[in-house]
Amino acid sequence: MSATTAPYRSDLPAGRDSFAQLLHAEWTKFRTVRGWVITAVVSVIAIIVFAYLGTFRHESGVCTGPSPASCQAGHPHVPVGPGGEAVSDSYYFVHRTLAGDGSVTVRVSSLTGLRQTGNGNAVSTSDLVGAPGPVQPWAKAGLTLTAGSTLGSAYAAVMLTGAHGVRMQYDYTHDTAGPSVSIAGARWLRLTRSGDTVIGSASADGTHWTVVSSARLAGLPASVQAGLFVTSPQTAPSQQFLAGDRAGGQATAANARFDRLTLEGQWPAGRWRGQDVGANGQTSTLTSVGSHPSSGGFTVTGSGDIAPAVGLPAAFTDQPSLTGVFVALIVLIVLGTMFITAEYRRGLIHTTLAASPRRGRVLLAKALVIAAVTFLAGAAATAVAIPLGTRLLRSHGNYVYPTSALTELRVVFGTAALLALTAVLALALGAILRRSAAAVTAVIVLIVLPYMLVIVAAVPAGVAQWLMRLTPAAAFAVEQTLPQYHQVDYLYTPASGFYPLAPAVGFAVLLAYALIALGLAGHRLRTTDA
Amino acid sequence: MDATIEVNGLHKRFGQTVALDGLSFTVAPGSVTGFVGPNGAGKSTTMRAILGLDSVNEGSALIGGRPYASLRHPLRQVGSLLDAGALQPSRSARHHLLWLAHSQGLGSGRVDQVIEAAGLQAVARRKAGGFSLGMRQRLGLAAAMLGDPAVLILDEPFNGMDPEGIVWMRGFLRSLAAEGRAVLVSSHLMSELQDTAGHLVVIGRGRLVADTSVADLIDAASAGRVALRTHARSEAMTALANAGATVAATGPDALTVSGLASERIVEVLGQSGVPFAEVTVHRSTLEEAYMELTRDAVQFRAAEPGPEPGPGPGPEPGTRTAEAPR
Amino acid sequence: MTGALRAEWTKLRTVAATGWLMLATITATVGLGTIVALAVTYRSTGPGQDIPKLSLVGIQLGQAIIAILAVQTISGEYSTGMIRVTLTAIPRRPTLLAAKAAILTALVLTAGAVAVLGSVLVGRLILPGHGFTAAHGYALLSLSHGPTLRAAAGSVLYLGLIALLSLGVATAVRESAVAIGLVLGLLYLFPILAALVTDPQLKRHLQQIAPMTAGLAVQATTNLGRLPIAPWAGLAVLAGWAAAAVLVGGLLLRWRDA
Repeated sequence: MSATTAPYRSDLPAGRDSFAQLLHAEWTKFRTVRGWVITAVVSVIAIIVFAYLGTFRHESGVCTGPSPASCQAGHPHVPVGPGGEAVSDSYYFVHRTLAGDGSVTVRVSSLTGLRQTGNGNAVSTSDLVGAPGPVQPWAKAGLTLTAGSTLGSAYAAVMLTGAHGVRMQYDYTHDTAGPSVSIAGARWLRLTRSGDTVIGSASADGTHWTVVSSARLAGLPASVQAGLFVTSPQTAPSQQFLAGDRAGGQATAANARFDRLTLEGQWPAGRWRGQDVGANGQTSTLTSVGSHPSSGGFTVTGSGDIAPAVGLPAAFTDQPSLTGVFVALIVLIVLGTMFITAEYRRGLIHTTLAASPRRGRVLLAKALVIAAVTFLAGAAATAVAIPLGTRLLRSHGNYVYPTSALTELRVVFGTAALLALTAVLALALGAILRRSAAAVTAVIVLIVLPYMLVIVAAVPAGVAQWLMRLTPAAAFAVEQTLPQYHQVDYLYTPASGFYPLAPAVGFAVLLAYALIALGLAGHRLRTTDA
Repeated sequence: MDATIEVNGLHKRFGQTVALDGLSFTVAPGSVTGFVGPNGAGKSTTMRAILGLDSVNEGSALIGGRPYASLRHPLRQVGSLLDAGALQPSRSARHHLLWLAHSQGLGSGRVDQVIEAAGLQAVARRKAGGFSLGMRQRLGLAAAMLGDPAVLILDEPFNGMDPEGIVWMRGFLRSLAAEGRAVLVSSHLMSELQDTAGHLVVIGRGRLVADTSVADLIDAASAGRVALRTHARSEAMTALANAGATVAATGPDALTVSGLASERIVEVLGQSGVPFAEVTVHRSTLEEAYMELTRDAVQFRAAEPGPEPGPGPGPEPGTRTAEAPR
Repeated sequence: MTGALRAEWTKLRTVAATGWLMLATITATVGLGTIVALAVTYRSTGPGQDIPKLSLVGIQLGQAIIAILAVQTISGEYSTGMIRVTLTAIPRRPTLLAAKAAILTALVLTAGAVAVLGSVLVGRLILPGHGFTAAHGYALLSLSHGPTLRAAAGSVLYLGLIALLSLGVATAVRESAVAIGLVLGLLYLFPILAALVTDPQLKRHLQQIAPMTAGLAVQATTNLGRLPIAPWAGLAVLAGWAAAAVLVGGLLLRWRDA
């Protein structure tokens, strides 16, 4: 043969080689299949529509008044602490006015628990008399100083607890442990105020004092109420949600004997007054609380808690507003898988790889395109669903825990990133398995099934904790809006919106799964014939 | 870039089965090279190896001296059509071309050009899933032409085309080659390549059987053959055989004679007094030439010692000769 | 019908994946049950455990593999175009679907029975060592105990119904990724939605109609009064879902071009 003709030269302008072209091609691929675009839109609609379903609940007798007195039973008044968080502020307070700097010292000679015998939240005095029960680990008896009379005011307190020794706490969320001692012996406590600073000290003998901690309460007025307090939180619920009702904790009370009460500093003349603070508050509180003077001090019975509010009845986080995320998750898993398995099924992968022989880059471009699409869809949908769900919950008379704007942003973008990474995981498993049914099932079993098993309490708590640490479902921690407080006993479970890992760590677990799967997929794509 | 395909000593095994067994050939620009062989001979595997889709155990396949995988905008240098069915059925033809164009840094203007060149204007916005095989072949050809490449690799492009489409395809391929492109077209139907291919690479069971120009192949196959029409068939056969010719009956009044020039045949028949109606120099079709070639190849291979474990890959591994035209 | 049955049996039997998926179902079911049995210990306080139900928790994982098996029997034919060959051989489409359903159910009931017996055996061997003894009020797991037998037999039937549900869905939607997404969505999403919605009435209704929550009520042996739906009634709800899916799939198979 003879090549008489000159070799062909194309007139097309020379193109630059860039990864952007690959992204452009994969994006064109995605947007030109109408079913895929519709699927992405469906996931957005699902998240928004299910925000309606999730928050659908009718309550009557909303408690919006400024004080608990206006609240009906079961419709709590929730005070907000200085940091903006929902708090419990309920205790028995024996107090006087402190009109400047000064200190109060007392010995807690005994702290005992009182068992509730009835089933309801309130029991009569007769139930308590002569019915000593176990003292709650976080029952508190000690000295406190509050900035104002409204619930949720700034305060600082030093106290003896049921099982956690001496603590200094202030402004609900701050907690410092004092010298570790058993509660059997008498304990001396002292609270000293100078200006904005409050110092809590403890002593075993009333002579040798140790500072537990100090607190600066900015803007503390000159005149404050200070004195003795006793409170005892309700027991932690023992069960998850079951058939629609929350198996709540039971109210408890504690009884403390205070003696050797001495005051120093600017205490104007006056009497000690007893007050049941926050009674009828958000936590079920025993009614039979009070105080009576005893030798050189008081015997005080109190119930409730001074702490961040956790597990309030008829109070919700973003969780119900985000119900649709799980629907979207499954929809996007199918989408992410099909974005690659559709190519294998038709042999289109050959065309793709002939056009872009560097296979790792093809996979990366695909992953970025599906991640971007699902991230934007997820962010848009959750940014609508959360305010919508919150409004609906409130309009139905429910309480929604306040959260900071930063936290809301983390939930919105965290959820969007969770959807995006799950879609990438689906894409990667689709590339590894090359079969859609197996890949879709694998991803759903990895991320949806663990969450389901945990939230319906199908597995024991120990297994549940590990499932939420080891499986990609750990990433649901990005939806946690309430911090977990060690000073409040509660069933901190995913069902109530608490996850064993921090949001960033949980997210990193999913990220690791997605990256490893993507790495394996890239390896398989590069080393095996297409 | 030099518009040639060089295949050097390709070996490819699928488990125990040897698909390519030291295959080497070169495709030069300026003509259509037919790539032929029976089913399972390794044509598609070779093409996939050239395109970097399948790895090979040994050997190399280079395009203009470079491996395909190292090309930065491969479709601007090599256009390929492997499987016309490789489409997302719910994507329109135009959009299928569009994403391919984007992957090569090309715009929608080029897409419209190739749609026109492939004669797909009327259906470009329809979902490709509803296309007939012939239309898919045109779409595949349009995709191969997107980057205006100097090298084209087409696997069975005539499949599913109607006669009109086949005529169009032949003309299209010839014009591409005339522009100086290297065009490698595989087929198992020689009739399709008739009047199209200028060069032929024939393979069988993963090995090169022939690498020849079509003209040479037909000449060789026709060489020394004379077609004879006579009523007195047996007399003619006896006379010619006595004169040292090889004679085969090809019809009730037709014989094919080899070993004697046509003048000598006329002379022998005249001397023997055998009447005849026509003596013509025989011209083989490409089909016949190819059949003869592969028959020889099969015989050659059968005589060859050495293990050939298992049947070759492909749907009909037992078939060693070309299929008859359907 | 006999011909169709034999054809479908040959088809399923000669695909290697069938055996592997059945084996995977058994392994996953017994495996999850073993992990949970090893992780749980008796506590004198707190809610009591429903031991038979706990042992059979692996069904919740195993059903996902059953769904793959069921979806593949039909969408595998659509993806390869083999459905056209099948329909030329067995043109009566309802017969074809019935044959597929019969063979599939038989296979799934077999695998399910092995998986359930394995799970119960594992529970019987492990749980007494973790404090679930007669002294603490937990009898040894035994199929001679009426409610336990119901839980075990019900779980096998449950898997069979899941297979039929999946087959129906896959016949209706044909695309395997979409079919498996729909099936697993139906199974796993309902319990999550029920747990997250705030309205107690809605929650209860969701639990009553959810194919998985209702269907697995058959596993409960304690606190039957607190179940959202009674055990056999729950299984009947799942049967309703399966029947509806097969019916819709069958009608679409009949009306649509293959």
